[in-house]
Amino acid sequence: MPDWVQIAIRAISLLALLFLFTKWLGMKQLSQLNIFEYITGIVLGGIVAIHVSTLESPLYYGLISMFIWFIVPYLVEFFSLKSKAFRDATQGKSRVVIQNGKIMEDNLKKEHYSTDDLLESLRDKNIFKVADVEFAVLEPTGKLSVLPKRENRPLTAKDLGIKLAPDHEPQTVIMDGKPLLEPLANLSLNPTWLETELEKMNVSIENVFLGQVDHNGQLTVDLYDDQLAIPSPTQMPLLLATMKKCQADLELFALATENENAKKVYQRNSEKLQNAINHVSSYLQ
Amino acid sequence: MTVGSQVKTLYASIKGIEATLSILAAQTNEADSRDAFRNTQQMINEIKHDLEKQVLLLAREEPQYNQ
Repeated sequence: MPDWVQIAIRAISLLALLFLFTKWLGMKQLSQLNIFEYITGIVLGGIVAIHVSTLESPLYYGLISMFIWFIVPYLVEFFSLKSKAFRDATQGKSRVVIQNGKIMEDNLKKEHYSTDDLLESLRDKNIFKVADVEFAVLEPTGKLSVLPKRENRPLTAKDLGIKLAPDHEPQTVIMDGKPLLEPLANLSLNPTWLETELEKMNVSIENVFLGQVDHNGQLTVDLYDDQLAIPSPTQMPLLLATMKKCQADLELFALATENENAKKVYQRNSEKLQNAINHVSSYLQ
Repeated sequence: MTVGSQVKTLYASIKGIEATLSILAAQTNEADSRDAFRNTQQMINEIKHDLEKQVLLLAREEPQYNQ
């Protein structure tokens, strides 16, 4: 067998083997690897590189060493899943570097983390003042996780006590001009509904590049022809506007009429309608 | 516009709101939103009944506009 055929056979078989090994090891992204997994990856790659570029060492040598470098990390990972102590030993523990707003100098020293490194990591999180930090942990991957003090955290709807309507992921129902039946069925809608909605928008399905339906059943589309203007869903904003208009009308009638009885009716209903608006407005936005 | 026709227009708008709410309640697949739409629809329904009486009352007061 000529040398080049041997090389080709080695390259193909080791490539397949390396692919399977890395898959079985469940390799994460490069930045998420701990040091052990990182070395394993490099060594496996190195073994393959040596055996596909020269014929000096026999193929089975490579297979043996690759197998060992595969099975040991595999077992380590297996036992890490079972035992917390083992996991701490192999993958490292996260270490608290700032607690209650105070820097833990000893822990920094243990991790060989200098003050500059700490400041750099904090700046990476857009924090320029150590006093703004309540709690910070150095993860085994070398990343710093930071919890800012309460007043420095971004404001959320919860802080403001605003009740928001629940939101679910939208379903893509049209792709490249073709309806997708499974997502439609997930929303308990049918193709006839889709046709009706498209007709309302005055577009044909062949012209739709992408169409999505949100959890309220509102369809939004993107067309191939970008010159065409498509109406955005108006049903819900329109409803809210109509409700507000009616409420204003009722108030107006209440002011305009001189009949005491009618005034009461209008006022009562105006209040009722205002209640209804408050009740539903967060769902209509 | 007479008062009667103004109230009638409002009555029609309220009916429209009720119908839209029931469409939305049927369309959404989120239990929370559905409940909210249904409850609002109930409220609007009460308003509708109140206004209906008012429309009839006004129709009796302004019979000359009833043709």
